Amino acid sequence: MSSFMKRVFLCLIGVIAGLAAWPFAETAMIYQAYFPSFLIFSIVVGLIFGLFMGSFFASSEGIILADKSKIFKGMITGAFVGLIGGIIGFLAGQFALFIIGQTLIHSMKSFNKIGLPISRAVGWSILGIFIGITEGIRSSSMKKISIGIIGGFLGGAVGGLTSEFLKQVIPNVLFARLIGLLIFGFFIGLFYGFVEKRLSYGVLRVLNGIYKGKEYLINQRKMKMGFSSKNDITLSEYSEIDENHAQVYIKKDDVYIKSLAKSAPVKVNDETISDHLLKFGDVVKVGEAKLLYKYQ
Amino acid sequence: MIKKIILFFYIFFSLQILFSDSVRISQIDTSKLLINQNVDVYVSITNDQGNPIKNLSKEMFTIYESTDGKDFVQIDKITDFNNEVNSQKGINFLLLIDNSGSMYQDMNGRNTSNENNMRITSAKKAVRNFLDNINIDKDKVGLAVYNSYYTAYTKPIDDKEIINGYLDSITKPQQGEGWTEIYSSLYLAIDDFSTVKGRKAIIILSDGENMPYYTNTKKEHKDFGTKIFTYEEPIEESMKEGISIFAINFGSSAERKDANLRQIAKETGGAVFNAYDERELSSVYSKINNQILNEYLISYRATMFPSDKKFVKVNLNNKNRDYNSTRYYFSSTLFGQPLNKFAPLLFLLFLLALVFLWLLSLLKFEKINAPPSLEVLSTQVGRPVTKLLSLGKGGKTIIGSSENSDMTIVGAPTMKKNHATVQFDKTKSAYTIVADGDLTVNNRRVKSKVLESGDVISAGGSTIVFDEGMMTKMKTKKKKKK
Repeated sequence: MSSFMKRVFLCLIGVIAGLAAWPFAETAMIYQAYFPSFLIFSIVVGLIFGLFMGSFFASSEGIILADKSKIFKGMITGAFVGLIGGIIGFLAGQFALFIIGQTLIHSMKSFNKIGLPISRAVGWSILGIFIGITEGIRSSSMKKISIGIIGGFLGGAVGGLTSEFLKQVIPNVLFARLIGLLIFGFFIGLFYGFVEKRLSYGVLRVLNGIYKGKEYLINQRKMKMGFSSKNDITLSEYSEIDENHAQVYIKKDDVYIKSLAKSAPVKVNDETISDHLLKFGDVVKVGEAKLLYKYQ
Repeated sequence: MIKKIILFFYIFFSLQILFSDSVRISQIDTSKLLINQNVDVYVSITNDQGNPIKNLSKEMFTIYESTDGKDFVQIDKITDFNNEVNSQKGINFLLLIDNSGSMYQDMNGRNTSNENNMRITSAKKAVRNFLDNINIDKDKVGLAVYNSYYTAYTKPIDDKEIINGYLDSITKPQQGEGWTEIYSSLYLAIDDFSTVKGRKAIIILSDGENMPYYTNTKKEHKDFGTKIFTYEEPIEESMKEGISIFAINFGSSAERKDANLRQIAKETGGAVFNAYDERELSSVYSKINNQILNEYLISYRATMFPSDKKFVKVNLNNKNRDYNSTRYYFSSTLFGQPLNKFAPLLFLLFLLALVFLWLLSLLKFEKINAPPSLEVLSTQVGRPVTKLLSLGKGGKTIIGSSENSDMTIVGAPTMKKNHATVQFDKTKSAYTIVADGDLTVNNRRVKSKVLESGDVISAGGSTIVFDEGMMTKMKTKKKKKK
């Protein structure tokens, strides 16, 4: 999948995640009056929201690789990390909402028109940050975490504002929050994909074979390449590839490739290497697979 | 006899009103709402002199909450109750000075040209006196004047010199501007003041006569038209905002004063002072400060009814009389209000999400049975006419700038007409590239080369990828999955 397609795909996943989370969050919310406190209420709604957002986003990697076990495993770990992120995020967001709301409601004349949407958007942004970083924590990548902070923050802000203003334009709209959550998910996905590309160390594009056209963003300190699906760059279906064939890694903002292969050599620009600094335009050969290292 | 009874009741109720207390919620603190569900309400309780009433017991208070300000639910229990909780809190003052025509008369209501005898001079003096008394490190003072119109000079600030400067700039109103809009100006002052946080008090300096513009001129007021404000309107508004109103009277004792101003002060927890009593005047600040020092702190557990804001009503039952004060706090949750109509059918959307996810997982982002091809990945200059070209196993494929080339790239000056030729070699069963112009394959300069699948050809600023397609040899050599 090209990185453009990946961005579209992440947006889709975000929308689907919002769709899945909505009825559950809504159910918890109609019982708000039965909760003993705002604390418990926030924990439960945050847990539900984070669980669905986290598991759906974590399924994306497996789906791109068309690997059912990766989808399943991703969703389980994503759900777990997501629910923790959801709880913390919702609590932090709710805390901020209370503080800003209480300040603005007594100091702003047009509170309902401007103050409330702003307070809500700040709260959503904070929630977004924690939802955004779950994917980075799950795959233990600092780069993904920082990407998630920006993507989640912007996604939360835009989603929160849009849903809030939507409610003002069409009062009593039944699905205002649903649309808000879909936008929330969409924007987290969109910014995630967008920012991910901007913050990456370049792209490895597969040039031939079954995965031709697929682009791997280099956004982790270490990325393994090989036949097995445990690798970050899975090159099954190619011949002459070892279980773990090569490793792409980052040292002082430079990208290197190191051979881990026993059977076939790793080549850069048709020359066998063991540990090599990559520059844009280099052609990497791993077994029968060829990849182009490029800027974007 | 009946007249006597009516008179008795009249006197009885007037006395009741005369000795009535005032209950005012001066602040609601919800900073711990999320952590322990607590709402702290600061309540100021004063007598008709504006002095705090101390030592009231917890049992005399009842707290109510409401989502709409109409239907209130009683709170079971007050979790914390305290008197004299505030050590020192800064106060925001708004000084509202009468600048009507009568303020330029002397204290007895006679016209005078001697500035020293004018009421406005005494008013300014009283303000300067007041400024000397306050604690400018904590307190803030704002300034506004009124006559036919309300004019705000500054929001509460902590710079005495600036306030003094504004004070000096107050000048006699023009003809027609000199009417006295007390109630409407108070209303606007409260509105202005509502955007200020913390403890708030308005001090109105007036000679005590409400003479609305419209009533006296029969001309429409430029802001209010024909609307005449009643004295209840500022009372209601100030109670909502937790503002107490103090009045300093500049009329002579003989003059008929605005009784309603006294009522406004009393009901909002303020008091009235007389300007000719210097001792009384200098006690204004300490009186207000004393109120705040003697506030009651009442804590309770908030209800969970969903609402963007929630109203708190404090009820005090003192000597069989009920006193109420209502204010609101922000209580919205991150996702807002729940739906009015919720049907289990909405869970279909969850199933829909699962179906979408399942459909996505069915997508294979793989290229199977792709034919051998050349694909232009990018160009530094120029534009490819064909981006993707399938290669046959017969003749030659020419890459160049000529229209007759098989893969034409236009607008690239270093691209030759027939820059390179790709040909299938039947004996080697492979494709070979032969260059006419400058050419690199995998960043190595070549004249000719047997192409491998995935080779990157650079010619005339264009990057072209050669792909042999899905080769049968790949499948046969494929490793067995473990």
